Amino acid sequence: MIEYVDILLPYITTILLISSIYAIFSLGLNLEWGFTGLINFGHVAFLAIGAYTTVMFNMSGFPLFVSVIAGIVLSGFFGLLLGIPTLRLREDYLAIVTIGFSEVLRFILLNEQWLTRGPFGIHGFGRPLQDVIPYQHYNTFLLILYLVILVIVYFALERLVRSPWGRVLKSIREDEAVSSALGKNVFWYRLQSLMIGSAIAGLAGAMLAFYISYIDPNTFKPIETFHAWIIIILGGTASNKGTIVGALVFCTFLSVTQFINRFLPFTAHQMGAFRMIVIGLLLMILMMYKPEGIFGKKEELALSD
Amino acid sequence: MQLVINGLVIGSIIAITAIGLSMIYKTLNFVNFAHGDFVAFAAYIALFANTSGMHLASAFLVAILATIVLGVFMEKVVWHPMRRKNASRTTLIIISIGLALVLRNILIFIWGGSTRNYNIPVRRGFEFFGATITPNQVLVIIAAFILVFALHCLLSRTKIGKSIRALSDNIDLARISGIDVDRVILWTWVIGLGLAAAGGVLYGLVTAIRPDMGWYLLLPMFAAVILGGIGNPYGTIAGGIIIGLSQELSTAVLPTEYKFAVSFVVMTLVLLLKPEGIFGGAK
Repeated sequence: MIEYVDILLPYITTILLISSIYAIFSLGLNLEWGFTGLINFGHVAFLAIGAYTTVMFNMSGFPLFVSVIAGIVLSGFFGLLLGIPTLRLREDYLAIVTIGFSEVLRFILLNEQWLTRGPFGIHGFGRPLQDVIPYQHYNTFLLILYLVILVIVYFALERLVRSPWGRVLKSIREDEAVSSALGKNVFWYRLQSLMIGSAIAGLAGAMLAFYISYIDPNTFKPIETFHAWIIIILGGTASNKGTIVGALVFCTFLSVTQFINRFLPFTAHQMGAFRMIVIGLLLMILMMYKPEGIFGKKEELALSD
Repeated sequence: MQLVINGLVIGSIIAITAIGLSMIYKTLNFVNFAHGDFVAFAAYIALFANTSGMHLASAFLVAILATIVLGVFMEKVVWHPMRRKNASRTTLIIISIGLALVLRNILIFIWGGSTRNYNIPVRRGFEFFGATITPNQVLVIIAAFILVFALHCLLSRTKIGKSIRALSDNIDLARISGIDVDRVILWTWVIGLGLAAAGGVLYGLVTAIRPDMGWYLLLPMFAAVILGGIGNPYGTIAGGIIIGLSQELSTAVLPTEYKFAVSFVVMTLVLLLKPEGIFGGAK
């Protein structure tokens, strides 16, 4: 019995850790897509900016807390930079430009080795309280810390989207023309949504870096953006609660499929591909038959134009 | 000179693959993010046919046919029912992302992630004004010319071609003037994906075949489509050549890895300054 607990507990801790990081990452996207209707296909770029900024600030001698704040602020700032020229464009152009942005950023991270060490990645940076917490309990500590952060982000977002500001966002999602006729500056609200969503992704980036304690540009491939999309659609668009549940379901699925590998006659790379085929099919089927997700409400969908 | 030739070769591939993306974008009003993966799919089918002993020319035809069959299947199973449900542009875009993941990973599942090449003899290039041209590159340019000419004849001379243009101009007007919209949409897929497939096989001739080859072609294709004006096939061809040339010429001053970034910058500039494309087309 004891042995089972010894194996199972770290396993569950890992799943919960990854889920909490994905949950925060996806909550940022949910604000942009679920509540404002922005198609951001480059969300992973802000995860990367948050992670790299935090790590590089820390490596150049700043305390961890300051580094994380820098990561969040810089992610938000890049959201602003990307948003100013692109948020006036049609939604499908925004999709193309954002996905291009995230790939160009990854190429810069890969090639500007003087700044990022390129494909070799960065490791050896500080982690929160790593000198105080004994090594064998470190992940448990990190999990408690991340769950606290998740709860704070969740309640902050819930307050935001229920405020008058959040109602304006939803009205923009439903009908842009009506909101601007009511005197709301649609562009400015969208920009704020993109900035906040990107800053949240930056926070998730810092958390990811602390957890895996090594980052390289290929951690931030476009597929991560689509993981967040699947999490949101699975949980229910425009539902923060759904996004968190979606993250948990999705990450459990990811690790369980690694587990069942033993029962299927696939090689490792085939298993990886098989998992992505399932994810892709899931995305297609959800969008075709149940676009409101498991916990979403049908009336909360910006899909009826 | 070498860069110009490389640029023309890549440009003509971008051009013929992007025509389908452009036509579908305009007619069905959505961006097909899976378009690049159809290109890769065709290259792999040709690879499969070729390595099982078929001549590359017949493998080329098999690949085009297989890609069209897959495209028509997707139209019947996914796109047509979704249009009937009045699905929004956003829904279709997200579905196409799912399809892209499925297609690419089926390729990885069957053939693995490593690079492959056709089973053809390697022939030496010849000198041309100080640049080296390989016979394959010449083949690509000639094939692209023939395909573009065939497309031109099809669009301007035949009834189906005219219906396709009418549909991409104004789908409602086309419908009330008695055009069988669903049939013409099917033809748009057939022609668009046929060209994409041809481009994919040719692309495999001048570079290696990899599962993500379509993904890396996607952004240059978008750039060509937007540059040329969405739904304007001739603009797309010009856009493709321009993107191909600027990507290759950029390597004279920038690291090769930034090729991809060039098409992104060109595309973003066009979107910001002249979103209807430099050759006119849809707004």
